[in-house]
Amino acid sequence: MTETRTRARGRLARLVAALAGVVAVAACSTTTGGADAGGDSGPAGEVTAAGTYPIDSLDPHGPEGASTGTQFAAQEIFSRLVRPAADGSLTGDLAASWEPNEDVTQWTFTLREGVEFSDGSPLTAADVVASFERMTQLDGPNAANFPGYTMTAASDTQVVLTSPAPDASVPGKLVLFYVLPEGVAADDASFFAHPVGSGPFTVDSFTPGENLELVPNERYFGEVPQAGRVVMRTIPDLSARLTALRTGEVDVIWGIPDDQLETLEGEDGLTVETVPSTAEFTMWFNSSVPALEDARVRRALWQAVDFPAIVEALYPETGSVADAPVPPVVLGYAPQDPVDYDPQAARAALEEAGFDFSTRLRLQFANDEFAPFVQAVVSDLDEIGVQVEPLEKEQAVFTEDLLALNWDINFQQLATPTFDAASNLGRLYPCEAGRNGYCNEELDDLLAQAAASADEEERTGLYDRASRIIWQDAVGMYPMNVSIAYAWQQDLEGLTPDPSGLPDFATVRAGGS
Amino acid sequence: MTELSEQAFGAPAAVPGPPGGRAARRGPGRGRARRALARVPYVVVALYVLVALAGPLLIDYDPVHTPLEDRLLSPGEETASGATAWLGTDGLGRDVLAQIVYGARTSVLIGVCTVGVSCLVGVALGAVAGYARGWVDAVLARVFDVLLAFPAVLLAIVIAGAFQRSVPLVVLALSATAWISFARVTRSVALSVRERAWVDSARVMGVRAPAVLLRHVLPFAVGPVVAMATLEFALVILAEAGLSFLGIGLPPSTVSWGQTIAGGKEYLETAWWISTLPGIALSLLIVNVGILGDQLTARYRSGGLGRRPNRDGSTP
Repeated sequence: MTETRTRARGRLARLVAALAGVVAVAACSTTTGGADAGGDSGPAGEVTAAGTYPIDSLDPHGPEGASTGTQFAAQEIFSRLVRPAADGSLTGDLAASWEPNEDVTQWTFTLREGVEFSDGSPLTAADVVASFERMTQLDGPNAANFPGYTMTAASDTQVVLTSPAPDASVPGKLVLFYVLPEGVAADDASFFAHPVGSGPFTVDSFTPGENLELVPNERYFGEVPQAGRVVMRTIPDLSARLTALRTGEVDVIWGIPDDQLETLEGEDGLTVETVPSTAEFTMWFNSSVPALEDARVRRALWQAVDFPAIVEALYPETGSVADAPVPPVVLGYAPQDPVDYDPQAARAALEEAGFDFSTRLRLQFANDEFAPFVQAVVSDLDEIGVQVEPLEKEQAVFTEDLLALNWDINFQQLATPTFDAASNLGRLYPCEAGRNGYCNEELDDLLAQAAASADEEERTGLYDRASRIIWQDAVGMYPMNVSIAYAWQQDLEGLTPDPSGLPDFATVRAGGS
Repeated sequence: MTELSEQAFGAPAAVPGPPGGRAARRGPGRGRARRALARVPYVVVALYVLVALAGPLLIDYDPVHTPLEDRLLSPGEETASGATAWLGTDGLGRDVLAQIVYGARTSVLIGVCTVGVSCLVGVALGAVAGYARGWVDAVLARVFDVLLAFPAVLLAIVIAGAFQRSVPLVVLALSATAWISFARVTRSVALSVRERAWVDSARVMGVRAPAVLLRHVLPFAVGPVVAMATLEFALVILAEAGLSFLGIGLPPSTVSWGQTIAGGKEYLETAWWISTLPGIALSLLIVNVGILGDQLTARYRSGGLGRRPNRDGSTP
C-alpha cells in the first residue's frame, strides 16, 4: 500500500513505542548535546534527525520497501535511476538520460559513467537489471507498480525497461526503485548489516526501529556530504520530539501539527517552514453501496460539509482547500471548480434523490491524528440530518476493510510519491481496480490514453478531463492539500524541506563553520 | 491465605468498644472536627452522583457537534453563540465543563454496572466455593488464583480491543478480573461462618443448603463486600479512564474523562485546561472513594462479624 504511508502503529504498539522513545531520549541525553549544540562542531559536525516513523528494515525491495522509514534510509544509502527534485520534476540519479520508444512500451536509460559502490566495485547495467529482478521476485509493495515488466541490459551503460502496455509514467514509478549490487539474496542479513550502496552515505550502525547512523560515502559520484555523521532517531511521541528539538538534542523534525507550530515559530534559534506535499486528504464514497450509488447524493453530501471553514480552523498553516483530485505538485494536476458549501441545497438535493435519512454511514479512518478532522465532517453532515459513524481502525484492519470495500466513506491521506497522476488516478479509479465501487467507461478510456502518451502537455489535458469526471461525479470528497511543516536549528545549513517527508541530508551541514 | 483470612475475621471480635472510641477520648471539640472531616468523602461522592444524575438535565451537550469557531477558548471566555465556556473548550470547540459533567455520568454508570456484575458473580462463586468445600472449592479456588495471575488492565485491554466499542463491552472487560477479589473475600467468610453453631443447627434442622447460604452465611459477608465494592468502584473508574485514554473501549459518541484527557494531551502547553480539569475531576473522585472505602473497611473489620453473634448470646 504505497498510498497509505504505511503506518503500522497499533495502539498497543504505539504505547510501547512511546515508552521506548522515552527510554531512548533518556539514554541519549547524556551522550549527545555538545556535538551539535555548540558552535565549534565545524564541517565534521553531527546532524541528528528525529523521524516520525521507525526505520524497520534497510531493504528497499522487501515487504517494508514502501514504508516511509525504509524509503528515507534507502535514498541516503542507495542510488536510483531517477529521483524527484523538490518541485516534483524528475532528475537523473544513476541515469544520465532516458527516453521512450514510439508507442511508449520501452524506456531506455543511459547510465552515468564511472559510478562505484561504496566497496569500490563499479556499478554496471548488470547490477541495475539484477536489482530490478530482485525487486520483482520479492514481490514487495513497490513491485506492484511493475506487473509483467521486464528489464534488460542493452550494453554496460544502458538498460531497457519493457512494459506489457504503453506506460508513460515509468520514470515516475522508478523513483521507488533502488539499485543494489548484483547477487544480494532475498533475506541477506549480513549484507543489510553493512549494506554496500552508491548513495551519499554508508551505514555506520543500525538498530531497527530505533536509530540509524550514517557516515559519508567517500566514493559517492556526486558531492560528498559535508555532515560528518547523520543520526536518524525514531521518536514516535510528538511532545517528546518537540522537546528534543528545543533542547538541541535533535537538529531537525518534521510533520508538526498546526497547533504546535505557533509555539515553535516564536522560539529563537529555530527555522520553521512548510512545504506543499504530494499528499491530499481523500474521502472516497463507496459508490457500490445502494445509499451512495447516485452521483446526486454524493455531490450533495460534499456540498453539506464546510471544508474551507474546517481546514481554516484545524490546519491554518499546513492545509489548503484542494481543487483537484491530485495536489498541484503532481503531474496531471488540473484545477476544477470549487464545490460551494450550501447545506440547504444539499438537504434539498438529498430529498429529491430519495436519500434515506435513517441510513447510518460508516466513515472509516486509520490514525487518531485525523480524528478531529473526521469529527468535524461528521458534525457538518449531522447538521443536515445525515448520520455518520466515525470508525477509527487499526492500520492493518483499515487496509483490509479498504480493499474489501467494507465502508461507506473512507478517509485517507493519499500520497503520490511518484509525482505522477498515473500512480494515483490511473491506478485507483479504473473499473478494474475496484477500489471505490465507481465504474465509468469514459473515465477508463481517458486514463488509458493518458498512460499511453509520453507528451506531458497531452497527458495533463487528458488527466484534466478525467479529473473533471471524478470531480463532477463526486467519486469522493477532496477537501485538502497537505503541507509538511519542518523545524530545524538555525545553525543547520543546506536543508531543503521535502514534499514527501523524506528530507535529503546529502547537502546538509551542521552549523558553526 | 485461607488460614490468614479466618484469623483476620475472627480476631477483631476481641477488640472492645465502638470504632469511634479512640477519638472520643480526646475531648469533644477535636472529636467533632474529626467526625466532620470523616464525612467529607461522603459529601464529595454524593456530589458526583448528583452531578452525574442531574447535570445532563441542566447542561446540553452533543459530542457529535463541533463548533470550530469556539475552539481552544480558555476558561471563562465567551463562545460565538454568546454563552460562557466556564472551563474552556477543547480542540474542536466543545465545552469542557459539559464534557466533565457527561463524563461523570459515564464513569459512575460504568463503575456501578461493573461493580454490580462482578459483585454478583464473585459473591455467588465465592459463597459456593467456601460453603461446599471439597473438590468444588479446590477447583474454584484455583480458578481464582489463576485469574489473579493476569494483570487486570492488560486483560481488559485485550478484551476491549478485540471487539467493537460499546459501553457493555467495557463493563464486561473490566468485570473480567474485578469479580475475583469479591469471590476471595466471600469465600473466606463462608469458610469460617459455615463452622459456626447456628449454621450447624440450621443444617441439623434440615434447612436446605441454598437457604442456609442465603440466610445464615451470606449476611456476614455484606460488610466486607460493601467495603470491597467501594474500593473496586474507584479502581474501575480509573481503569475505564485508562482504556478511553488509550482509545479503546468506549465509542467516540460516548463522553468520557479518559477521552477528553487524551484529546488534550497535545495541547498541554497551550491549552492546559483540556486535560487538567477532567484529570482533577477524576482524581478527586478516586481519592474520595478510596478514603470512603478505607473507612468502611475499618468499620466492618471491627464490628461486622463479631458483634451480632455476641448479641445473640452465641459464642464469638
